[in-house]
Amino acid sequence: MNQQSKATFITRDYRYLYLGCSLIALLGLSLVYSQPHPYSFLRSDGALGILCAVIFWSFLAFSGLALMIKFAYWSSYSDTVMRHPSVVRASRWASYFVVVACILALIDRGLLRFVYTVQLCSQMEKNPQGFGSSMIYMTLKGKDIILTGIWTTVRLALLGTAIAFILAIFMVFLRIQEPDKRDNDFVKAVKWLASHFARLYVFVIRGTPMMVQALIFYYFGFNLFKKTNMTVTEINNVWSFFISGLCTVALNSTAYLTEVLRGGILAVDRGQTEASRSLGMTNWQSMIRVVFPQAVKNSIPAIGNEFIINIKDSSVLSVIGVMDLMYATKSVSGIYFRSLEIYCVAAILYLILTWLSSLLLKYLGKRLDMPVKGLPSSN
Amino acid sequence: MDEVVLKIENLEKSFGELHVLKGIDLEIRKGEVVCIIGASGSGKSTLLRCINLLEEADSGSIWFEGQDLMDLHVNLNALRQKIGMVFQSFNLFNNKNVLDNCTLAPVTVKKVPRAKAEETAIRHLKTVGLEDFIYADSTRLSGGQKQRVAIARALCMEPEIMLFDEPTSALDPEIVGEVLDVMKELAAEGMTMVVVTHEMAFAREVSDRVVFMDQGVILEQGSPQEIFGNPKNARTREFLTRYLEDKQE
Repeated sequence: MNQQSKATFITRDYRYLYLGCSLIALLGLSLVYSQPHPYSFLRSDGALGILCAVIFWSFLAFSGLALMIKFAYWSSYSDTVMRHPSVVRASRWASYFVVVACILALIDRGLLRFVYTVQLCSQMEKNPQGFGSSMIYMTLKGKDIILTGIWTTVRLALLGTAIAFILAIFMVFLRIQEPDKRDNDFVKAVKWLASHFARLYVFVIRGTPMMVQALIFYYFGFNLFKKTNMTVTEINNVWSFFISGLCTVALNSTAYLTEVLRGGILAVDRGQTEASRSLGMTNWQSMIRVVFPQAVKNSIPAIGNEFIINIKDSSVLSVIGVMDLMYATKSVSGIYFRSLEIYCVAAILYLILTWLSSLLLKYLGKRLDMPVKGLPSSN
Repeated sequence: MDEVVLKIENLEKSFGELHVLKGIDLEIRKGEVVCIIGASGSGKSTLLRCINLLEEADSGSIWFEGQDLMDLHVNLNALRQKIGMVFQSFNLFNNKNVLDNCTLAPVTVKKVPRAKAEETAIRHLKTVGLEDFIYADSTRLSGGQKQRVAIARALCMEPEIMLFDEPTSALDPEIVGEVLDVMKELAAEGMTMVVVTHEMAFAREVSDRVVFMDQGVILEQGSPQEIFGNPKNARTREFLTRYLEDKQE
């Protein structure tokens, strides 16, 4: 629906007015008659509550009447009194009242109830039984752990993607080396090795799960430091969970970003290279000065997507004990012996993080004059 | 007009099964303007692209400045600096403005100081009539303007010879003139030029020699008067007649 027809739908169009607003009225009624809470200003026995209920009931009754007339005069409905301009206008106005009343009910039973529950939960001594209140209770009690987790997840994704981008620039230069028949044998061999090393790297990293990579990196580093006769405490200081987790994210993303950048390079028109080579520039000069800047610009949306993927996929690092959002929620669940509730909280928090990031990327993309697609799928 | 600048000997090129160049011999003298004409697919563009090794020919020699470009040990980049090329699709560097398009190669390849390179670039941009677009974004120019920048860019390297690969084929008929005018000026200044073109009027008016290519061989070459006035080869005659008929329609 475009802007134009949206406006017409609200101000003029009346085709589904009775049906749509009857549903809204039913929702409003169910809210008004639901259990009130101490902050409620809309009780079924209070003045405002009764007023809302009257609005809802009378609109339902009027819609029922309209339906009967419609059934009775199926083909000549437009000649009945229901299509008289004043009736149409009246029903239009009635629908506005219904919507306003329903919004009031939603504020009361939705927003204020949430505020009340949060306050209640913050004063509770033990985990409440209800699903929603338990979610809120555990989030509030574990907020320090969860905030640390969020901060770690954001740092992992940001730093990981940034480091990966730098490494990927290096890796893609290796990847695109191609032996030329004008090179001497040594250069040919070096180019072949470089390109095949990059290919192998991408092949292995993309073909194995990040969880396995995380474990391998962590224990590989641990064993390496062990050889230098360091104590376990010393090793944990140097090769911390966070550092090894960050290495995992960075090295994993490097493989994906290498392919992203390679795609970006391939997408640059061949004529750009031809023009620069025809002016006597070397392959390297042409790459650095002409092709690569354009390739990076092409790749910026995909690099942003990699960042969002890293927010989600860094959750597997909890397997080595990185204190990210996943590990934080796991810890909270261990303290309060409730799992489903707190994992739902984790899902909501991850969703907020990725949603905010994609909004940010969309904004940046607009500033840089580049289209950005919706949430990316996982690697 | 004696000194031979470029000499092509028995050049062969195949794309897989397709035999595109079947033994081309061609000499270009200093200051000469040579137009290569012929039907699409006759190998004219491939010949031009083989001259500065954008396509690598299979066999034969390309003598330039006493060196064979086909020799695997020559410094190709050094020789390419002296062979300017103008493309059908302009190929301006999209990430640079007009001035930087012109100064990039002199600064990075010839190590000309930036100030001097800019001075030269502005001089050449003036000759192609683009002094008002020096800092313009190269992607926002019209086709004719782009092609004139491309010519200025090639001139900034002070080439011995300029290759034009159908420089007006991607332009609107109304804009073709502004590019051809620049090329005529260049020819008048004594630049050595090899032009692959479908602009017969330009070939007739400006060139010293016209080369007719068909199916990978040079069928006929001579002065414009000879080729357009009295073509000896039946295939040349057929091509020119059909071409003139098309023009009249």
